[in-house]
Amino acid sequence: MTAFLQNCFAGLSLGSTYALVALGFVVIFKSSGVINFAQGGLLALGAYLGYTFANDLALAFVVAVVLACLSTAIVGATFERIVLRRMVGQPPFAVIMITIGLLFILSPLVTAIWGFDQKQLDNPWNIRTVELGGVVFGVRDLWTIGITAAVVVGFFVFFRRTSLGLAMRVTAFDQEAALAQGISARRVYATSWAISAALGALAGVLMATGPGGLNPSIGNIALAAFPAMILGGMDSPSGAVLGGLIIGLAEALTRGYQDQLFSWAGSNVSVIVPYVLMILILLIRPYGLLGTKEVRRV
Amino acid sequence: MQGKPWRIGAVLASATLLAVAACGGAGNDQQSGGGQAGAPPSTAGFDGRTIKLGVLSPLSGPVAVIGQPLTEGNKVWFDYVNSRGGIAGKYKVELVQEDNQYAADVTVQQYNKIKNDVVAFTQVLGTAPTLAVLPLLRTDKVIAAPASLDAFWVREDNLLPVGAPYQIQAINTMDYYLTEGGGTADSRICTMVQDDVYGEAGQQGIDFAAEEYGFTVANTQKFKVGTENYAGQIGALASAGCEMVFLTATPADAGKIWGTAAQAKFAPKWFAQSPSYANALAQSAVAPYLRQYLTIAAEGTEWGDSSVKGMRDMVSRAQQYAPQQQPDYYFGFGYNQGRAMTALLEKAVADGDLSRDGLLKASSELGKVSFDGLSGDYDYGPAATRNPPRTTTLFSVDPAKPFGLATLKYNFSSEAAAKFEFQKATP
Amino acid sequence: MGAHRNATLGYADDLRLFPTPLKRTGLLAMLVVFLVLPTIVRDDFWLSVLVYVGITAIGAIGLNLLTGYCGQISLGHAFFIGAGAYAAARFGGAMGLPLPVWLLGAALVGAILGGLVGPFALRLRGHYLAIVTLGLVFIGDHLWRNLTGITGGNSGTSVAASASLGPLHLDGLSVLGQFYSRNQGWFWLVWGIVAIVALLAKNLARTRPGRALQAIRDRDQAAEIIGVRAGRYKIGAFMVSSAIASMAGALFGAYQQFVSPDEWDLLLSIQYIAIVIVGGLGTIFGSILGAIFVGALPALIDRYSDVIPGVRTSVGGEGFISVFALNQAIFGVLIVLFLVFEPRGLAGIWLRIRTYFAHWPFSY
Repeated sequence: MTAFLQNCFAGLSLGSTYALVALGFVVIFKSSGVINFAQGGLLALGAYLGYTFANDLALAFVVAVVLACLSTAIVGATFERIVLRRMVGQPPFAVIMITIGLLFILSPLVTAIWGFDQKQLDNPWNIRTVELGGVVFGVRDLWTIGITAAVVVGFFVFFRRTSLGLAMRVTAFDQEAALAQGISARRVYATSWAISAALGALAGVLMATGPGGLNPSIGNIALAAFPAMILGGMDSPSGAVLGGLIIGLAEALTRGYQDQLFSWAGSNVSVIVPYVLMILILLIRPYGLLGTKEVRRV
Repeated sequence: MQGKPWRIGAVLASATLLAVAACGGAGNDQQSGGGQAGAPPSTAGFDGRTIKLGVLSPLSGPVAVIGQPLTEGNKVWFDYVNSRGGIAGKYKVELVQEDNQYAADVTVQQYNKIKNDVVAFTQVLGTAPTLAVLPLLRTDKVIAAPASLDAFWVREDNLLPVGAPYQIQAINTMDYYLTEGGGTADSRICTMVQDDVYGEAGQQGIDFAAEEYGFTVANTQKFKVGTENYAGQIGALASAGCEMVFLTATPADAGKIWGTAAQAKFAPKWFAQSPSYANALAQSAVAPYLRQYLTIAAEGTEWGDSSVKGMRDMVSRAQQYAPQQQPDYYFGFGYNQGRAMTALLEKAVADGDLSRDGLLKASSELGKVSFDGLSGDYDYGPAATRNPPRTTTLFSVDPAKPFGLATLKYNFSSEAAAKFEFQKATP
Repeated sequence: MGAHRNATLGYADDLRLFPTPLKRTGLLAMLVVFLVLPTIVRDDFWLSVLVYVGITAIGAIGLNLLTGYCGQISLGHAFFIGAGAYAAARFGGAMGLPLPVWLLGAALVGAILGGLVGPFALRLRGHYLAIVTLGLVFIGDHLWRNLTGITGGNSGTSVAASASLGPLHLDGLSVLGQFYSRNQGWFWLVWGIVAIVALLAKNLARTRPGRALQAIRDRDQAAEIIGVRAGRYKIGAFMVSSAIASMAGALFGAYQQFVSPDEWDLLLSIQYIAIVIVGGLGTIFGSILGAIFVGALPALIDRYSDVIPGVRTSVGGEGFISVFALNQAIFGVLIVLFLVFEPRGLAGIWLRIRTYFAHWPFSY
């Protein structure tokens, strides 16, 4: 039982990270219909900026995190302003490819500035733990779960209670109607890129506080978060969180019970579990668990 | 039917072209120099004064953390050789570096790019990239020094490996654990290996030792490089009651694995293959845990150990030619590759033939090469009878040391390691 | 009296693959380049780059049929390329079958796998399909690493498939007393196959199935209403596309003589998507242009990197950015610039140039 709970906790912590990244995908997709392949690059950039603020400039950890999120948000919004705005009305393929282009620009940029070596981000948690009923909780994991929960709550409050949030929802729902109401679609797009980049940076910094530290391949987590986003439904923020947690739990539990239950399927089954789960669920619900069914006109 | 004159034209044109093309073959214009002693005649990569050597290494990308210090090691060695006049005191060495991005197809392209400009390759990094150029090396009769400790390099005529392969390190580690390390054949011995060729090599060594010493591996956890959360594997090892875990990993993953283990209060005796470790780990939050439970299996001695001649020389040469170089395991490896290649070139120069055939011949006649204690002596010669070093040094973690490692047991071997037989690559 | 050379007189003219004299001249020019190029560029580096580019072009044509003509985004192309390479290792290497057989065998394997994956396209749309096919790459990676009997597992497998066409041994061609290197032989083989595949694909695109695919791409429900069986064509497109991808993979394996699971990663899929988008969706010629652009540009930068300021070509050398990083960054910038200024890709630029000259002197 303890082992089971321990695995569930690992899954929740992992799932929270997925949820943050998936939320970043959803924000952009919901407002502009684009899958942002550069999310992993923004995540890595944010994590390294956090490293510079926390280690090189020796700022307090909280300050470093906030600054990393802000500066990455500026990068995201700038990119939207300079490049993507010109692509309004172009086929979605071309826009997706542009985000891939951004990924190809960001990764060498990050390695040119910070190099390839392993880095340890100074943080207040390290490998401290709390024990409760035989289950060991890593302090860093607890914070990851807590921060994610807080962000998710803040996210929903923002969308339900603020006028900008409302504007974003309206634009996502019907761009023309929103424009007719005097809502600036440009501001909405720029904001969604800023929010998404900040979410990526937050996820990146949280990952970099782990015992493995920080290296340029940190952005690969975005690939693992794709299933989370799809599973929940690409345009549903609550779906992203749900998807993230499901994928995280499924991955951690498969890993924990690989020997007992999954040895027939080869080694490291947990690596493909997110994808298998995603395919199975999509076959039953083609628009994810909470996604909106697309209305198709002839 | 309408006439289609353009078709006839096309046929005629292509016929003419075929005739033209027939005169443009690449020909068989490779010439090998004569075998008489004396000054070696110019050949591909050698203009009579300078010997050019190729380096195919990831100078960028995630594996650059390995490729850069390795290449720096190559460079420092040859800078030193050049400062003494060069190979045989007269021929300076120049490195031609190409970034292979750790990818097989890029390696093939880069190999083709420089193969006619170099005498041999003093470094090819990566198991898959090396396997991809191996067929080309055979056809072109070129020699290359692979920068990985895979066991199947030993039996390849076109390769010039250095160091004791991973399998040997794993076997010697088990010998130590069972004789002095507090373990018995009944101990719960486990492995944790990354799911690739490097991981399989470590596992192969442990499995060989299991047969020799009569123990069974209680649990094996495989993991994929770049896994984010290791709680599952650590949990499985803990519930299997492992008293000893042999780890084959690279530093980013190893850091996460040990961090997770420390958090879970899982404290077996950890033994790890040398590439699992990086200096950064000794400075990280996990360091106290590592000091207590970790032993690293490698070759040679600790960085900066002035009692070993090879180390003393290497550190002073590194300071002279690459002052910014941090203590690094791979730097030493690259340095050793340079040594082996120099031994081969000196032999070829003595035979008066630096051509490809000449080098292959020199390689099959090359005897024992000493690495002055940086690694065990390597018995070269025809691939079928080569004997790599079978020695291992164990280290414990000590943040006060330059590389964070202190010698635990220096340069030992075991009967089991002596019995291990090397085979060609199966593919 | 005959009509003007460019006039379209009937349906038959409309269907011709190379209708205008300009296009015929172009075809002839390409034939000349095909035959003569390897005898001029004898350098093994450039020849091997061109061989890889040709192999990539074949795979890209396959993806373009699926994505450009049928509108189904697939990020799973790397999976089929890998499957083809292993098929070549089996059929050509272990079983020792001749070139046409192992090549078509690989295509068959690809078609079967494509037929298995295709039905997903009936259920899923757009981005959902893209991400599910992305899952294919990871599931494939798991299979390649665990099906050791077929793939050699982590350590990979050698691909000893023979490259002989009857009496022609392309691994070391000897015709009329002239000796041609392996890379020269492979250039002719690969680009010959590029030509065949391109012709077949163009033929497919202009006839009934091609029109059906495009109807499905533009409005699949409308297509069904006018009697196009969308389901059947979608699966068919997947099968053809994967069959071509597997052929590309088989050639890749046989040329490189060794393959390992590390090569069939998501980056490869993304590269193919980049090629068809940069080249131009829905044009066969664009796929080839895209492959040349994406494959040869890095090689070009690499070759001349020492004259570009700020580039570090060796460890400890001057400069702040490595060649590969520069390559990647330039590639990224070019993609962005391209698509901002010409969303139709290279084929769009080509079309513009052509229209300019076709209308000359009345072009503007």
